[in-house]
Amino acid sequence: MSQTHEHDHEAHAPIQSASQISEFEVLEMAVRELAIEKGLFSAEDHRRFSEWAESIGPSGGSKLVARAWVDPAFKERLLADGTEACKEVGIDWLDPTGTGTPSDYTYFYVLENTPQVHNVIVCTLCSCYPRPVLGMSPDWYRTPHYRRRLVRWPREVLAEFGLHLGPDVEVRVHDSNQKSRFMVMPMRPEGTEGWTEEQLAAIVTRDTMIGVALPKADWTATSSPSAG
Amino acid sequence: MSSPQNFDEIEYRVGNLAPVLRKPLDSPYEISNQLFAALRQVLHDVGGQPDLPQPYLEKVEEQWEMNTYVTCECLGWRGAWNSEERRRAENDLGATLYFGLPYYARWATVAAKVLINKGLITPDELSAKIDQVRARLEKSA
Amino acid sequence: MNRRFQIGDRVTVKNATTMFHTRTQAFTRGKSGVIVEHRPDWVIPEDEAWGRDTPERGGRDEPFYVVRFKQKDLWPNYTGFDVDTLETEVAQRWLEPAKEDQQEGTP
Repeated sequence: MSQTHEHDHEAHAPIQSASQISEFEVLEMAVRELAIEKGLFSAEDHRRFSEWAESIGPSGGSKLVARAWVDPAFKERLLADGTEACKEVGIDWLDPTGTGTPSDYTYFYVLENTPQVHNVIVCTLCSCYPRPVLGMSPDWYRTPHYRRRLVRWPREVLAEFGLHLGPDVEVRVHDSNQKSRFMVMPMRPEGTEGWTEEQLAAIVTRDTMIGVALPKADWTATSSPSAG
Repeated sequence: MSSPQNFDEIEYRVGNLAPVLRKPLDSPYEISNQLFAALRQVLHDVGGQPDLPQPYLEKVEEQWEMNTYVTCECLGWRGAWNSEERRRAENDLGATLYFGLPYYARWATVAAKVLINKGLITPDELSAKIDQVRARLEKSA
Repeated sequence: MNRRFQIGDRVTVKNATTMFHTRTQAFTRGKSGVIVEHRPDWVIPEDEAWGRDTPERGGRDEPFYVVRFKQKDLWPNYTGFDVDTLETEVAQRWLEPAKEDQQEGTP
């Protein structure tokens, strides 16, 4: 892709020399230290929440999908009550505070793809994302660009991700604008008969659970081009 | 005329060209109801607004970004604010800062601002702490 | 609060003036869709955003709904296909029974 536009340059991780301290880093530390001094939260709180934030990732969601693919009863439970079913793969939406995270809440719904319906997720108003099951959101998901375009030009955006769907497939965009958090359950691809849950989870990439990609039987989570 | 291979370079510049007759708003004497309505639009409500295709970039969270996220969530966890207050504060920054700042810089900015607004820290405490932290980081760099 | 709308009801999103903050998107205003799910009663974001995030602090709980729209009803000259839809969540106060004259051309 062309890299000649100004905003492109800004979007990459800045190259920081030892003499160039980021003012953002300074600001964050200042707020954190003051907050701790004032008792607004403790250093231990920050450490515990950081630990949780480092622990989350798309493997949680992959496990849910893989299990749903092999276990129809689990799939039913997952679709009926996403928040509760997550506990079966070790994800508790009440973590790490005991009452859930301030930005992710505790209302989790899994959207099942079928031959007739393809689901895809966005938050036009900010960047709401199911962090407990997918980890931190991709940079592009948070951009005004994705937020503007997915709701109105979904097939164009999907095509830019390499996903083309025919006129008989309903593209259903979910604008998660309130407290619900969503994840897509993609369809199990052909060629995966007899696979173990682990093998299946490996092809359920983050992008397939946002809805901008489909899982492929011949790619693994580490070599899928959908991360591009 | 540009050759076809240069289309990538020019497409964004062309998209961003504005007619030279546009006047910046600088405390106008009066404005129309339509312009007032447009200015009143809640800033984060961008769904369906026109935009050009852009590359979908991946970016690994830098440490200060993770720290910002965690600081903001801890403030929510222990009751200093809730996430909707944070989101409204981001909108209240206005278009230049909302769209001009990187994502987590917005979070860090509003965390500071809302703490002042709620009387939990004072502006001079913030300024002093920023100067202190900057000096400390520069010394150890 | 009573559930005013049932699954299957056709509703229209009100075009009420918004000052300062809302989570009811501009692109849904005046548009009609169908209720497909009930969501829990939540404190409305218009209260939460100002610190009124619990009933004790004046935060108003309200039923929320998932509304499904046909994309061709939402956007002029929608470039996708007729089957395409969009779902989003709306507080009860923002909904009214669908106006019959906004249903032209939709099943």
